[in-house]
Amino acid sequence: MEYVLILMPSMLKGTSVTLQLFFLTLIITLPLGVILALARLTKFKPLNLFMQLYVWVFRGTPLLLQLFFVYFGLGILGLKIDRFSAAVLAFVLNYAAYYAEIFRAGIQSIDRGQYEAADVLGLTRVQTMTKIVLPQVFRRVLPPVSNEVINLIKDTALVYAIGMSELLRVAKTAAVRDFSFIPFLVAAVFYLAMTGVVQQFFKWLEAKTNFYR
Amino acid sequence: MYILQANDIHKSFHRLHVLKGVSLQVKTGEVIAIIGPSGSGKSTFLRCFNRLETIDSGLIEIQGELMVENGPDGKAKYKAEADIRRLRRKMGMVFQNFNLFPHKNVMQNVMLAPMLVEDNGVKEAEEKARVLLDKVGLADKRENFPFELSGGQQQRVAIARALAMDPDIMCFDEPTSALDPELTGEVLRVIKDLAIERRTMIVVTHEIGFAREVADRVLFMDEGLIVEEGKAEEVLINPRHERTEAFLSTVLMAR
Repeated sequence: MEYVLILMPSMLKGTSVTLQLFFLTLIITLPLGVILALARLTKFKPLNLFMQLYVWVFRGTPLLLQLFFVYFGLGILGLKIDRFSAAVLAFVLNYAAYYAEIFRAGIQSIDRGQYEAADVLGLTRVQTMTKIVLPQVFRRVLPPVSNEVINLIKDTALVYAIGMSELLRVAKTAAVRDFSFIPFLVAAVFYLAMTGVVQQFFKWLEAKTNFYR
Repeated sequence: MYILQANDIHKSFHRLHVLKGVSLQVKTGEVIAIIGPSGSGKSTFLRCFNRLETIDSGLIEIQGELMVENGPDGKAKYKAEADIRRLRRKMGMVFQNFNLFPHKNVMQNVMLAPMLVEDNGVKEAEEKARVLLDKVGLADKRENFPFELSGGQQQRVAIARALAMDPDIMCFDEPTSALDPELTGEVLRVIKDLAIERRTMIVVTHEIGFAREVADRVLFMDEGLIVEEGKAEEVLINPRHERTEAFLSTVLMAR
C-alpha cells in the first residue's frame, strides 16, 4: 500500500498527460467529424473524393505509424513540433476519420421525409441540418461514438512510443525500476476509472436523450 | 388569374417516363382531387408543384409568379433557389407518412417553421399553434411527442404544421393511405372542414367517397397522363372513359 502511495505522484502526472491529450483530441475531433461527414456527403465531387481518400488513409494505417509520421516525418521536413502537439495532431487526424464515418452513417440514416418536410416548410439547408437532421443524428450515433471515445482513452497509451510520459510509460518505468508488477495494476485501475466515467457519462446521455422514439 | 398553373409537365426517373405532359389550372378556393391507380404518376405530379420533384420540361406558375419554365433548349429552367423557397411557402404539404419531426413535441412541430422561416416570436407562434391544434382537435396533445400519438393524430398535427405557414394552397399526398381504416375518418373530417372554409386544395387520394364529397373537380390519371377531368360527380359517377370506369369499379369493389 505504501508503495502504491509512493507511485501516486508520478502516476497522476502521467494521467494528467493522458487526460490532456484525450480532452484536447475529443474537443477538436467531434465538431471536425461532423464537418468532414458533411464534406463527405457533398455533391461537389472533388471534395467528396478527397474525403474518401482521407478516410481510407487514416483509417487504413496504424495510428502508431501516423504518430511516427507526424512526429518524425515533420521533423525531417524541418517542421519541428513538440511531442504533445504532434500527438494531438496525429490523434485528431486519425479519430476525425472515424467520427466522419460515424456521422456520415448517422446522417444517411435519417429518413428522406424529414428533409422533404423541412423543405416544404421553407427551412434553409443550414436550418434543416442544425434543427432537424443533426439533433436526431447525435442521438443515433451515441453508441458508436461512446465506443470510439473509450478507444481514444486507451489509444493515448501509444504516445509512449514518441517518448511522452503518459500513464502507461510512467507505470512501465516504475515497474522496470522497482522490479514490480504493481505499477501495471495501478495503471489498469486508472484506465478502468477513466473508461468507467466515460461509460457512465454516455449511459446518462443516452437516457437523457431518450425522450422520443 | 390562376392560383396555380402547371403546363405540359414531363418527368422521367431514369428511363421511366412518369409524367407525359400533364397540365392543371387551379382557381382560388377550388378543391381538386387527383385519383388513379398506383404508379399513375399522381403523387409525382403533386410533388412537382413545390419542387420535391424536379421536372424535365414544362411550366409552373404560382399566383402568376413563375417557378419554372422551359429554356431555349426546351428543358425546364428553374428560378433561383431563394425565389423557389419563397414560392414553396405559399404551398402547404401533407405527406402520406406524416413526416413529423420525432424529436420535437406537437407544439414545437407546429411552431418551428413560423419561428425559423417567418421570424415569428415565441408568443405569436405559440398562439398560432394553439389555435391550429384546437382546430384539428388536438388541444390535449400539445406536449406529446409524435411517437405517443396514433397515425390519425400524427396526420392532424402534420396538417396543423402546414397550416401554420398560412399557405395559399394545401397539397395532400395520399393523406390517409398509411392509416388504419378506423383512423381515416378523423383526418378526412379535418380536410373537409378546410374545404368548407374554401381553402384551395389539391388532394391525391384513394378515397373515392371523400373525393366525391369535397372535390369541385376530379382528375383521373393513368400511366402519366390525365385521362379524364371534370366535375366530381361527372367523373366519379358517369365516367366517360373505360379506364376511369375500370379503375372506379376495382376501387369500389374493394370496399
